[in-house]
Formats: sequence, structure tokens, C-alpha cells
Amino acid sequence: MRIIATAAAALVGAAGAVLAAVPSPLPLLRPPGAGEAAFFAARCVRCGRCLEACPYQAIHAAPLNAGREASTPFVNARSQACRLCAEFPCAAACPTGALTVPEERGGAAMGVAVINEDTCLSFQGMRCEVCYRACPLIDEAITIDYRPREGDAIHAVFAPQVIAEDCAGCGLCEQRCPVGEPAPAIIVVPTGADEVTYQALRNGAA
Amino acid sequence: MELTRRSFVKSTAVALASAAAAGTLAGCSSLAGTGADAAASGEGVKTVGVCRFCGCGCGVIVEAKDGKVVSVTGDPENGSSRGLNCVKGYYLAGALYGEDRLTVPLIRDDKATKGTPDGLREATWDEALDLVAGKLRDTWKADKSRLAFWGSGQQPIVEGYCTAKFWKAGLLSNNIDPNARLCMASAVVGFMNVFQTDEPAGCYADIDETDVFVTWGANMAEAHPMLYSRLTARKLADSAVRHYDVTTMTTRTSASADKVITFRPGSDIAIANAIANYLIVHDKYDHDFVADHVQFKQGTENIGNATDDGYDKSDIGQAVDNVEPITFEAFAARLAPYTLEYASELSGVPVEDIQELAEVFADKSRRVLSLWTMGVNQHNRGTWMNHCIYNIHLLCGRYALPGDGAFSLTGQPTACGTAREVGTFSHRLPADLVVKNPDHRRYTEAVWDLPNGYLDAIETPGYHTVKMFRELSKGGIDFLWSAHNNWAVSMPNLTRFLGRGDLKGINDAFICVAEVYPTLSTQYADVVLPAAMWVEREGAFGNGERRTAVFEKAVDAPGDAKWDLWMLMEIAKRVLAGEQIGGEDAFDHLFGAWYDADAAAFKGSDREVCASIWEEYRTFSNPDLNPDAAAINTEAKLKMEAKQLAPYEEYIHNHGLTWPVREVNGQWLPTLWRFCDGKQEDGFDQYGIEAYGEHDKAGGVSFYKSADKKPSVVFRPWEPPAEEPSDEYPFWFCTGRLLEHWHTGSMTRRVPELDRALPEALLDMNPADCERLGVTDGDRVRVTSRFGTCDITVSTAGRTRPPAGMVFAPFFAEETLVNLVVQDTYCPLSKEPDFKKTCVSIEKIEG
Repeated sequence: MRIIATAAAALVGAAGAVLAAVPSPLPLLRPPGAGEAAFFAARCVRCGRCLEACPYQAIHAAPLNAGREASTPFVNARSQACRLCAEFPCAAACPTGALTVPEERGGAAMGVAVINEDTCLSFQGMRCEVCYRACPLIDEAITIDYRPREGDAIHAVFAPQVIAEDCAGCGLCEQRCPVGEPAPAIIVVPTGADEVTYQALRNGAA
Repeated sequence: MELTRRSFVKSTAVALASAAAAGTLAGCSSLAGTGADAAASGEGVKTVGVCRFCGCGCGVIVEAKDGKVVSVTGDPENGSSRGLNCVKGYYLAGALYGEDRLTVPLIRDDKATKGTPDGLREATWDEALDLVAGKLRDTWKADKSRLAFWGSGQQPIVEGYCTAKFWKAGLLSNNIDPNARLCMASAVVGFMNVFQTDEPAGCYADIDETDVFVTWGANMAEAHPMLYSRLTARKLADSAVRHYDVTTMTTRTSASADKVITFRPGSDIAIANAIANYLIVHDKYDHDFVADHVQFKQGTENIGNATDDGYDKSDIGQAVDNVEPITFEAFAARLAPYTLEYASELSGVPVEDIQELAEVFADKSRRVLSLWTMGVNQHNRGTWMNHCIYNIHLLCGRYALPGDGAFSLTGQPTACGTAREVGTFSHRLPADLVVKNPDHRRYTEAVWDLPNGYLDAIETPGYHTVKMFRELSKGGIDFLWSAHNNWAVSMPNLTRFLGRGDLKGINDAFICVAEVYPTLSTQYADVVLPAAMWVEREGAFGNGERRTAVFEKAVDAPGDAKWDLWMLMEIAKRVLAGEQIGGEDAFDHLFGAWYDADAAAFKGSDREVCASIWEEYRTFSNPDLNPDAAAINTEAKLKMEAKQLAPYEEYIHNHGLTWPVREVNGQWLPTLWRFCDGKQEDGFDQYGIEAYGEHDKAGGVSFYKSADKKPSVVFRPWEPPAEEPSDEYPFWFCTGRLLEHWHTGSMTRRVPELDRALPEALLDMNPADCERLGVTDGDRVRVTSRFGTCDITVSTAGRTRPPAGMVFAPFFAEETLVNLVVQDTYCPLSKEPDFKKTCVSIEKIEG
């Protein structure tokens, strides 16, 4: 029961609303070291130990109406992202190997962050780049592409760029992004999910 | 959508000036309604403003609807920023609408509740004002040395002007100082010592024109976001442009650097002296420029450190300002020990890197722009380091030329416009005048219509900021009024100032805090006065490039919150009741032109009041507006019009102007490059040079404000930091600002988007240090100095990358309160504290 209560509390916010409304059309962002979806699904016994091990209370159990995902662990990055603990206590606590401890912080392989250039403030020339400075792998997973600003000789565009192969998918960028409506300007697409579909759903597409 | 300012400008340009000259607001009644009136009607109205936060001074357009600010966007017509903001400016409107805005005056009845969020009860304005004014008047009558006002580089210009006038002329007290003491004082003393005028010669456009950037102790990428965008644009526009980042740690600003020169904290003066020495030894300095424009000096040395309270009054403390002229040869001889090798030994910077930087300055085929901020100013030798940068630039003829100069960046939106230009310091009067100079006092008396000799009572400077709070903490202050600041978070050595262990001084004193939100400072207040914020009244800021810009009133303040200027008038009227100046009621004499004491109201709208006060203030820089002042100006050769300001409406019409602003054929023209010969229309200082300077001198510049028209190159030696790492305190601790939050976070942390973007203050550490101490990213640690202790979470992510042996944390978070740890040692000349070099120990908090 504790696990279910925690999950309900976590499902507040944009991603939560979508999740709650539809029985899991939106792939879940798994804890570090979950690997391929089928591999994880075959091994996770919904014991909740990873939830208890997380020092940031970032891992929740999917609600009971989430179909076959019910009670499996997920991270709602917008409300509390994974902080990529050096020792990965969540994965270390997993009794079945559904989560394997990544060899390095960048190897969590939870997903890949994707930027919506239409809503991102930095692409409009504002000095924001909050995602970049928040990134635990700054200058590796997110870098800045410094570009001249068209028609403006005195300002540059500080365009954040996600380096997909180095992104751990922890979601700290998504949590910190000041843009909220309809969705953060940077979101983490979970491992195995289709980027275009996922982004559309997060942006509120039916 | 028509801006309301346009109709205002058309109808009142002449009426305002003449009405103000006549000392009345009559004739201003035809002014168009303010933005607030229109916004209340439900129609969206746009007004012109300027960002509330940093010293960049970015222009904004404020849109208000139904009495609420609904959007803030960049103002393309503002010459400083031309239409863009950082994320703080983008979400600026949210700063007005935090859930816990203070809207009612609050009184603390039980002093035992100080230091807690409790103990404040609601009160009427009359009760609160009577209490504050009564305490101020009692203190004033009993012992004037025991009262103080602590202001700010965020206090709008006319508010600062009236506060200074009340304190200096009304109370005859110099115990007034701004928080700008914590950020710009070393730059100011540097300007005064070198140029005898407190101002940068250059402007932001220098960034667009230079070939080489040298940032000294400056994290512009975070602290001056839009100016760093400008720097980056310049680098992108020309691949030959170079950037040298001279710093104690790698920051986001290092991203654009072609070379990061990381020096040991406190050794920057050795590097600068080595560069100057190299230029002379290798005969790579500008002989003509030196001959035409430079005089050489040396000053008091071995000045120790202002850590103990008795420093200012000690023999050495009294001698720190002394200088004597020396020859060029003697100057060269003083520099001679500063070989590249010696500087390398002190700084840890490779010889070849210092030489490369010296060669940058030597290469006259390229322009070089030095930019610096708090790494230079918040320094136990902050004034000296400002000197040393000017020394290099003056030796190689790189000052006051477009793209070729030395530019001190300011931290706050109106540190220049109010703290410095108005002079809300313990030793100053408006417009660069100082209390200790008899001619300056006479001039001020003329403008303020005071009897001859009236201001002789304030010829001795009052308490500077650190002294003020030291006195407060040890029971030497009975009355403190603070506004536009949050001293209980921003002052260094809070362990001392918040009276940990004793609390007697702070408990016994009567403290009045004017604020917009509850802060740690209001927790120590006896009375909290709820203030109108930003565009809830009209005001003006002066930014880092001498640009004065008005922000129009857009909406009314919430609840019973009031304009700080109204609070000042109501308190001044009570304190000065029954007092006389020159046989007239003292309050009416000082403020009667603008305020009706009986009606407890201003004699016009915010616009009319600001414009009228501005007209009096600008008399300081336009002596012709006052015959008595004009006579003193001529006789004492004060050159007051050198900093000429324009009529108020010009600033609105032009979305800000950089002073001096000159009237040419009915047009008011700004100046971008001071002391640089050329056409006024092109931004050069044509009329200043024609009036006081000389043509055809080296570089086409003329430093007519400097003594003998020659700035001073003063030899300043390297002397060690106030404390150095030891076995007990092995780390340097540096504090500063980060992009998402403004200063102590009292505003930006109420903006949900900004709070989300950076919710906590982290201690950035070098991974090697972490490994040695057995701590890891995310661990809690205790940071302890010989001054105090705070707990904080470690980050090794690398937002800033301190070298081994150094750690960094921002100061915005009151729950972390890093200033409990920071030393209150200050530069002996500027009295600005060193926030960058406290020595600390770090231990992991288990569990």
C-alpha cells in the first residue's frame, strides 16, 4: 500500500496528468540501469526496494490502473529527476538484476533528453541555458552551440545541444526547465520510446 | 498599442522644466494618466521599463492588464540591451506576485522574538510611522552617531537622492551607506585615485569593437548574462577575436576563452605588475601616451589587513590613502622585481602565459578590452588591483578609446545611478562631491538652498557599511533603517553581525526594514514597512555604462504597500517637526516643493514628482540652473557640468541616455566614449573636450577631469591575502552570484520558474579534493572558517570548476547562509569586504 500511495502523490504535473488519464500510453522513464524494456519487464518483481533506496524519493510505483506496468518503478523527471548518485543505491538494491548498476554516471541509459526548439527560451536569444548548467554531465551530455543571432549584431544564441550518446536520461534538465506550458522545452524520452510520438503526447496531443 | 509616454512627452517637455524651476508642480496637471490608471480599466497598456536585477540594465516593455503586470519583454529601443533579456528578466513579472508579498505594516512588540519568523503583528501606517519616527528622533536628539541608514544600489535615483538629502541636510548625519559598498567601492576608489572622477570612460559598445577580451575575476556568463551574449557575438563575428580569462577558477565564462589563466587567489596584482614591468623593460609601452597623459605615483605600503575593528583608526589605517609623486624611472624601478618568473612563482601561472598576455597588451595593431567585476573588487587589495589594471592600460595607451579600454562592470541595476552618482555613501554628496571638501559643501548648500556653512556639521565621514554593522552587533547603534537590501543574508561574517551567542546589539537596537517580502532581515526588524516594488511606482536606474533609464509606473502596489519615497516623507516630516532651516520649517524647506505634509500626499503624480525631484538633482550637473551654484562652480573650478544630465522627459523619450548628455541645437545628445575627441553626434565627448580638454594629444583623448589632465599610474605592490590556507583551514572559499538568482534570492526565489531552475545552493568542489576527503556529489558537508560555520551540499558536476584547494558557493540561499562563514576583512582603502578568499575546513556530515 505504501508504494501505491507514493505513486499517486507523484502523479502530479504534466506527465502525471497524461499518465493518470490513459492507462499508460506514455512509456515510463525507468530508474538507472533498467536497460531494454523487455529485459526489465521480465525481471522486475515490483518489490519496491529501488524506491526505498533512492535518497531523493525520485522513484515511484506506477498506479494500479497502469495495466501491466502497475507497481513497476518509474521516475517522474519533472517533479523529481534522478540525481545520478555515484553509487546508484537503487540499482544496487535490486534483488533480481532488473536494474544493473551502471559502470559510470553517464551509463544510466534511462533515456535521452530532447529539446523543443520552438519553446526553448535559449533558441529565442534569451540567456537561459538552465538545462545545460543543471546537467550533471555538463559539457558532455549537454553542450552549448554558440551561434550568431540573425539580424542582431550584438547578441549570440546560446543553443543547448543534447549529445544523445552521452545523455544518461536522468531528467534533471526537464525538472529545471523554466518553460512549463504545454510541456518543458526539454524532456527525456525514455529508452525504447519513439521520440516523435512521445514528444507529441507530452505536448498534449490526443 | 500606443505607449502612454508619447503623449506625455509631447505635452509636457517644456512645462516640466519651467514648473520645476519655479519650485512648484503647478503646470504639470495636464500630464497624461500613468500606465497604472489605464491598466486598471481593463485595457492592456505597455510602459517602458528597465530590468530590476543586475547592472546590465536591460530595457524592458511592461504590459499591464486589469491592474496586473502580465508580461515583460525586451525593449528593442533601449541602447544597452536592444531587445533581449536573460531568464531572470524574462520572468521578471513573477517577482511582483509572490504569495507572501508584504502588504501591511508590521510591528514587533517582543524583542525576544527577533531572529524568528514570528513576533510581528499587523499595524496601521500611522502607528508604524509614529514608532519609527519617534525612535529616529529620540536617537537623533540623544546621540547622532548612533543612528544609521543602509541603502542600496537598487534604490531608484530620486529615492536615493531624497534619502541622502534627508540624512545629510535634514539630520546632518553621514551614517548612511549603501550595499554598493559590498560590490563597487573598490572600483570607485580606483576611479577617484586614478582619474579623479567616478565613471567608466567606455561603454558597452566597446564589446562590439574590441579585438581581445581580458576578463579579470569576472564570471560575466552568469553575473552579466546579456553582456556576455554581446561578448560572444563579437567572438563569433570575427574568428581573430581572442579572449583571455584571468581567474581563480574555471567558470562558465571560461567557455569562450582561448586561454584560461588560473592564478592563486590574491596573486593577481603580481601578474598585473609583471605585465606592466614587461612592457617597460621591453620598451613596449606607448611613449607618446605616457608623455601626454600620465603622472606617476607611489603610495603607502605594507598596509596589513582590516580584520580588527581598530584598523581604520590605527596609524597605518589612517595612512592608506597617502600617495606621493615619483618619476617614471622610479616607477620602473619599483616594478623591476616583478619579473615574469616572480609573478609565476607567486601565482602558479606559467611564465609563458603571463608573457603571452603581456604581448597582447604590447601589440598595438589590436584593440584590447579589460573587463572585471567582483574578483577584483571584493579583494583585500581591491582598490590596488583596480589601479594595476589601469596602470597596464595607461602605459600602453589603451584607455577611453572605442574597443580599447578598461571597463569595470557593475553588479547592481543602479549602483552607478544612485549609490555613486547621487552619492548615498557615508563620505559623499551628490555628483562626485565629498563631505570633507569645503567647496563641495558650499556647492551642495547652494543647490539645496541651505545657509552658508550649514553642512560643515557633516565634514567628517560617517560609518561605512562594515563599520555600521560592527557597531550594530556590539551595541553602538540604537536606530537602523534599511531599504532595498537584505543585510541579514548579504553581509559577510553574519556570525558576528547576527550576534550569535549574544544577540544583545541587534536586540537592543531599533531596526526598521522596508521590504517587499519577508526575509531574514525582517526577522530582526522591530518594524517592517511594506514597500511598492519596481513598476508599482515610477523610478529610474543608472547602469554600468552611465546610462540613466526610467521605468514608468505600470500598476498600483498591492494592499497597503507604499512607495519608499512616501515612507521617507512621512518619517522625515515627523522627525523634523518643529525644526527650522534658515528660518523656515525644515521639512518644507527640503521637501515642500514635492510633498504636502498636512495632506500626507505628494503634490502630483509619480511622474510629476520624479520629474520635479530630478530637476533639482540635475542642477548638480547643470550649474546654470542655479546662479549661486554656478558662481561656486566657476570660482572653485569644480567642472560640475562635465557630468551633465538631461531633463527628465528626455530619458523616457529616448529609452535611456548615457551621460554626459549635451544640449545641441535643442537636441540632447548622449556620450558613449568619455574623454575621447570626436563628434558628439557619433557618441564622442566633443563638448567636454572643447570646454576643458585639449585636442591633438596622443590617442586623441584628453583626461580633463584628472588633476593636471593626467591620470595617475600608482605603483601598488603585491601583498598577501588576509589569511591563507593552513592545516586547520586548508581551502579557499569563494562566493558569488549565479545566473538564475538575483543576490539574496528574496525576489527571484518567489518566481516559480526561477526557483525551479535553481532551487538550492551547492558547494562546487574539485573531484580530487572530494576523493581525498571521502565525500561525493550530493553529500552534505560542514564548511567552517575562523568566523563561522554553514552546512551545504557538495556538487562535482562542474558548473564552476575550482582547482584543488578551492571551493565555491553562491550566496542566494538563506537556508544555507554561506555568509556565516565569510570573513568581514575589507580593502583598507575602499572598505569593501573580501568575499572571495576566506579559508575554510570541510568535513562530511555523516548520516
